Amino acid sequence: MNCKKEIIAMLLAGGQGSRLYELTEKIAKPAVSFGGKYKIIDFPLSNCCNSGIDTVGVLTQYEPKLLNEYVCNGAPWDLDRKRGGLYILPPYQGRGGSEWYRGTANAIYQNIDFIKSFSPKYVLILSGDHIYRMDYRKMLESHKRSSAACTVATITVPMSDAQRFGICNINELGEIYEFEEKPKNPKSDQASMGIYIFNTDILIEYLETDDDDEHSSNDFGKNIIPNLLNNGEKLNSYRFEGYWKDVGTISSLWEANMDLLSDDPPLDLSSSELRIYSNNNSMPPQYHGEGSRVSNSLISEGSVINGLVDHSVLSCGVIVEKGAEIYDSVIMENVRIGQGAKIYSSIIDSDSVIMENAVIGVKGEACNEITVIGSGKTVNQ
Amino acid sequence: MANASGIIFSSLNKNTLSRLTANRTVAAIPFACRYRLIDFCLSNLVNSGIYDISIVANYNYRSLYEHIGSGKDWDLARRSGGVNLISPYQTINDPSSAKMFSTRLEALRSISEFLREMKNDHVVLMDSDTVLNVDLGAIIDEHKASGAVITVVTKETDESFSSKNPRMMIKTSDGYISDIAMSDKFDSDHRELSLGIFILDKLTLLRIVEDATAHNNVSLTEFLMRSCKSNRYATYKYNGYCAVISSFLDYYKYSIELATSRAAREALFEIKDRPILTKVHNSSPKLFKGEANIVRSILADESSIEGSVINSVIFRGVKIGRGSVVRNSVLFHGTYVGESCSLDSIVTDKNVFIGDRTKLSGCHSLPFYIEKGRRV
Repeated sequence: MNCKKEIIAMLLAGGQGSRLYELTEKIAKPAVSFGGKYKIIDFPLSNCCNSGIDTVGVLTQYEPKLLNEYVCNGAPWDLDRKRGGLYILPPYQGRGGSEWYRGTANAIYQNIDFIKSFSPKYVLILSGDHIYRMDYRKMLESHKRSSAACTVATITVPMSDAQRFGICNINELGEIYEFEEKPKNPKSDQASMGIYIFNTDILIEYLETDDDDEHSSNDFGKNIIPNLLNNGEKLNSYRFEGYWKDVGTISSLWEANMDLLSDDPPLDLSSSELRIYSNNNSMPPQYHGEGSRVSNSLISEGSVINGLVDHSVLSCGVIVEKGAEIYDSVIMENVRIGQGAKIYSSIIDSDSVIMENAVIGVKGEACNEITVIGSGKTVNQ
Repeated sequence: MANASGIIFSSLNKNTLSRLTANRTVAAIPFACRYRLIDFCLSNLVNSGIYDISIVANYNYRSLYEHIGSGKDWDLARRSGGVNLISPYQTINDPSSAKMFSTRLEALRSISEFLREMKNDHVVLMDSDTVLNVDLGAIIDEHKASGAVITVVTKETDESFSSKNPRMMIKTSDGYISDIAMSDKFDSDHRELSLGIFILDKLTLLRIVEDATAHNNVSLTEFLMRSCKSNRYATYKYNGYCAVISSFLDYYKYSIELATSRAAREALFEIKDRPILTKVHNSSPKLFKGEANIVRSILADESSIEGSVINSVIFRGVKIGRGSVVRNSVLFHGTYVGESCSLDSIVTDKNVFIGDRTKLSGCHSLPFYIEKGRRV
């Protein structure tokens, strides 16, 4: 018997992230590296840790090996607990047969027993593909004050981009009266962040109804939220102020990395407030040799820099040999950049080797096309 | 897995690292950007499969205890074995019983009950002032095969050797120790420098503690000196990289060597399957702003650098402002260097603040030390 919890989190981490192409060939999207020493999943897990949420179910499905290895027992996020803690929840075989998670809502539906075992009053639904720093306690307070069935976190987006998001139309009381998935003519600039707090009984009721509906695509945004609204349930909105970035595409992942390098970064990883934790190994300090020239860059432990690094983010254990030049790029763990190689506006995934004098990417103001080299590749001239 | 236990000693003697040990025990001295000296001992032990470790410290051990925590960063948070911290304590009936350990022998004597309960057959004794990356498993195997009573790990010295304090120097003949002397310079008779690592079996250790007590020996060194001629004590000649830190100047010299010598870095940090482990702090990557000029230097993560760093060792969370130049220096965790400063041959302790346009300089044989928390 588990202890009763006020709130538990369910983190949807099974997505393939197909728009990240090579980067998610062998790993799930939440396990993609970000910001030198982090992975995307560090952000929701650290947010839970910083918000006093000590029970998190991580729902995995697509290529879970690295993700399982990385989150291990949850210790880096203080989630190695006797009462609660971190649980990996993969799809499983039951008496009635076995099935994959068919959608975000179905994934939670299949784990209703897990939720019930903690008898939580509230359930926080999170997704593992956003970069942001948030105190969920504030959202929970807003939810309690509103006495709504569900609270949706929203963020202000430029009106011109609103067509790409799930848009919440909100009245002056902060209640959502209409939800439109990718509207052609958006009426509001408040986009759903895919973060929900539900009263547990309501969540279970709607998940069960949704599962009975064979036409449903079993998705929170497409089905559960619209159903709540159609049935006249009170839907509260919580407006989040701060940096939030969906890193579901190559260009947005690259941009989010570059955002860390701006003069006054909107997300300061070294800030001690709501700190972001990660599962670090002990690597030796970084070394800069004779030919090191670095500017406006983030460089991580274990790296050896003998070349030029400008406006780039380097993960742990990256070797930059003499005469190599890296501009506007994201270099992931243990990549070796050979002598005289030149890298422009690229993402080089982990364990790749760029041979001597190879040129990757296009020199110049080429932000519109990011070159991607998949994990473990060797690139010759 | 080696059937052995480890015992690490930290600052049993008052020593000449006084400035660095004003607030901390020797084992807790920060070294190489992100480590403390204890990390090398612990890593050598766990990399050799030794997961039952005791650390003996007399005083100033707060920072050491904080660093070790439960031991989980070294895989030493175990149900059985793990890491165990031992310091002098009073007993209720005899408040005067809490005596500082001034030698390894005294420390061992005070924990003899604990030694008797140790489950492993062999014991590795280590000092914490020697930095190296060594395969202890191979040494233990050789010790067992040799049939020696005790094996001392040594390094052959040459004319260039000198030390601020006398160190244990060993003469061997036919592979066994024939004489021991304390010396602070090269001694052509006693050419092998003890690295403070001793391997012996548990029963021998208990016997030595009893025997030495009966003979009124005050230290393990004294015991070995007295008994080496009539016993088979062996040495294991280690010929890899090691840094024996017996003075502040040694500390400075070896720190800068790590920044400037590739061989030193490789010998400590790039040995396959023998990583040096330390407490993980979840630092963010180091941010280099503007055009930073970093040459022949090692740096830990967190915080930002805008100036120049040459031949230096920069710890975690050090900030160096625009236009500042840092040369031949060791800057501890949290050092703040303002704009347009010039530092040469400086060692700053933790959280030192150096205001804009400050010029400070020591020299290579006399580096300038700034104590913890000082504002300049």
